[in-house]
Amino acid sequence: MATMFRARHGRFTATWDTGEVAVVLHLLRLTHDFVAPEREDTGDPFLDLVAGLGGTADPEEPSDPALRRLLPPAHRTDAEQATEFRRLTEHTLRSRKAANLATTITALSEALPEDGDHEPTDPVTVALDADQARAMTMALTDIRLILGERLAMRTEEDSERLHEEFAATVRGEGEMEPSAVQQMAYYDFLTWVQESLTEAMLG
Amino acid sequence: MAVLDRPEADLPWVTIVWNDPVNLMSYVSWVFQSHFGYPREKAQQLMLQVHEEGRAVVSTGTREKMEADTEAMHGYGLWATFQKDD
Repeated sequence: MATMFRARHGRFTATWDTGEVAVVLHLLRLTHDFVAPEREDTGDPFLDLVAGLGGTADPEEPSDPALRRLLPPAHRTDAEQATEFRRLTEHTLRSRKAANLATTITALSEALPEDGDHEPTDPVTVALDADQARAMTMALTDIRLILGERLAMRTEEDSERLHEEFAATVRGEGEMEPSAVQQMAYYDFLTWVQESLTEAMLG
Repeated sequence: MAVLDRPEADLPWVTIVWNDPVNLMSYVSWVFQSHFGYPREKAQQLMLQVHEEGRAVVSTGTREKMEADTEAMHGYGLWATFQKDD
């Protein structure tokens, strides 16, 4: 079982099971591929800048509600301003999110033994510097937003109802779909991890 | 110049953060401290306003600055919008 993050000498450490590291790495990779820009950067700063300045059609509001939650409209009443904002910012926003996820994937991968020879219950130390901790708490937010949208958790009432149904199903008294039970288990674990990391960062 | 004669361009714009059931209260406080540099008490107060009233104005200034703040909030996973203050 994972322990809470503790801050020491500017670093944040916790002990996780290798199985927990593997699950979070899996979710981080899926989220990275989900949010990464559709147009990859070329690596040439000038070409990327030119490409980023448009010339292609305006990016439309994403049809997938989870992606729309990660890249939400920036204006509530003026669709034209929201579209213009999206055209100017979506690529960099997606690149920044992908970079945070990649930083977190690297940091967590370093916790696993190099020989790959381990049992899921073996404990390992997750150690993050300040930048990795920032990246991780933001990456966990993105995963939780996607899971929340998939579970139709859009209001505080939805959240309460889903947690009651989840608890009842775990007790053998509820009828939540197995896929939703799995998503709720991930969601709650990531919530716990993020809470402990954020509290450690707040000091 | 009388206040009522202010040209439109001078009117301040605002960044608004909206409540959602996923973002943790501790995380929202951390975002407000981390991005805006607000002291802990102010960040906490704004976070509670978002949580209890459903929204809060988190920054005020030029349109360009509010667009930058909105983009930053989206980077953190908070749902923010910008608009002219009214």
